[in-house]
Amino acid sequence: MSQPARTASSVTPSRLGARAAARPAARPGRRRDLTALCVVSVLLILAMEVASRFVPPFIMPSPLVVGQAVLELLTSDWHHVSVTLLRLAAAVGFSMLLGVLIGLLMGTSRRLGPYLNSLVIIDTGIPALSWMLVAVFWFKDPEARIFFILTVILLPFYALNVYEGVRSMPKEWVDMMESFRPSRWQLMRYLVIPHIVQYVFMTTKSVIGYAIRMVIFAELVASAVGIGSRMSLAQSTFRIDYVLAWTFLLVVLNLVLQSLLNLVERHVLKWRAEAKVR
Amino acid sequence: MNPIATPTTTTQSDAFIEMRDVSKHFGDFLAVDQLSMTVRRGEIVALLGRTGAGKSTVMSLSMGTIAPDQGTVRVGGADPSREFDALRGKMAVAFQTDRLLPWRTAVENAELGLLILNHSKSQAREAALHWLARVKLEGAEHKYVHELSGGMRQRVSLARALAVDPELIFLDEVFSQLDHVTSQVLRRDFSRIVREVGKTCVFVTHRIEDALDIADRIYVLDAPARVCLALSVSEQTRRDPRALADLHDQIAQAIGGDTESAGHDPNYSENQDLS
Repeated sequence: MSQPARTASSVTPSRLGARAAARPAARPGRRRDLTALCVVSVLLILAMEVASRFVPPFIMPSPLVVGQAVLELLTSDWHHVSVTLLRLAAAVGFSMLLGVLIGLLMGTSRRLGPYLNSLVIIDTGIPALSWMLVAVFWFKDPEARIFFILTVILLPFYALNVYEGVRSMPKEWVDMMESFRPSRWQLMRYLVIPHIVQYVFMTTKSVIGYAIRMVIFAELVASAVGIGSRMSLAQSTFRIDYVLAWTFLLVVLNLVLQSLLNLVERHVLKWRAEAKVR
Repeated sequence: MNPIATPTTTTQSDAFIEMRDVSKHFGDFLAVDQLSMTVRRGEIVALLGRTGAGKSTVMSLSMGTIAPDQGTVRVGGADPSREFDALRGKMAVAFQTDRLLPWRTAVENAELGLLILNHSKSQAREAALHWLARVKLEGAEHKYVHELSGGMRQRVSLARALAVDPELIFLDEVFSQLDHVTSQVLRRDFSRIVREVGKTCVFVTHRIEDALDIADRIYVLDAPARVCLALSVSEQTRRDPRALADLHDQIAQAIGGDTESAGHDPNYSENQDLS
């Protein structure tokens, strides 16, 4: 998607006006979201504190103990966090690329489309646990196991959403493009690929939390390194404060990734007029 | 042919679009019935008819996006459906809805055709900016589609069509979704530009005033599409309200419209609508 050259003359008063008008509308919404998040977090911490006074520490430690565990983990276990993040990035990136390619073929190839569609539909019916167990049999290397598990679980989300994106493309746009007699590649470059970008973002935002859960689960059964394996260790050594500390860090990780995605999405999809429903 | 028709003559040599006894079915539905018509180089021709008369099908046949069941269609000497790529860069279309791509700014939409025709990025940008200025969109070049009004969007759509410097421009009900004033201003601007650059233009409309306002010749189509009236409109006629009202009346009669309101009054309704 090409961007206009930003020249001084391109920034017209009306454009500046539009930007200024957009700001006050966008801010209150974001502030409300942040306030709600803070309120819910504080309530959860209070609930933990109250519960910790009535049950033994190995059932529910106080938030203070969990906070100390978080600081401890952040100073000693960075290696495990970075390994998990790398696994997540590699698997999501690969699933995105392959899923988009498969989705595009499903939507544009009359010959391959139906076969790929069937394959993806079958994949969606296989439970994540089956893939995990199968991966243990098929792959010796833990990295290969985790990569395989995440890819086969995430790929259908991308493929199906991109396929839907291609199908939902207005026929009017295709007719308009055809009036210029474009090549197949030009049709993809100028119409199909820019159109599906929003579907890729939507899918990534939807699967990122699920992908974090899956990578932890896969590390739990298939690796000795990573957050999942550390959680397993914490469970076997009865360190519930560590289990809760890792859980807290994973929630924060999800929020940070979602915020980053939103930031990138707002920049890439700035052309989109967002509807506000009363 | 309808007895009230004013026949127009066209020689074989100057015909840019030539349709001979063309028929087209969609399943059992007959959309075009033995249609014959010609469009000369450099003229503006209106295809006028009620909604469902098959006007857009005739346009699609001329564009080559569909092939006729019977008869022949020649555009610039080529069969547009069989020799699809022969007309690459020679024709452009502006549609009823603007069909702008929302992720592209006005100038990026206007340069789209040129990029498809493999012009360099800088050439395409230069031409797009030129045509946006010609359609009076200076200052809005870098706005996204949702920031433009309906009239501005149609202007971008016209700039996109004109920017590829086509020999032939199709307009499919381009002015019909705009309010009366915007529509009138836009079609007069467009007519002026097309005459200045000497393009051939076929425009499909269901509004009599659109056709009388800018067309050199008008083909009135019956349903299924066949010519029931063909007439010429000179600049002299356009300046004479009574002559215009007579033409309006003829057209309305040919289509079977309400002639009382259509044309007897010299100040005939500008908004006579056949849909």
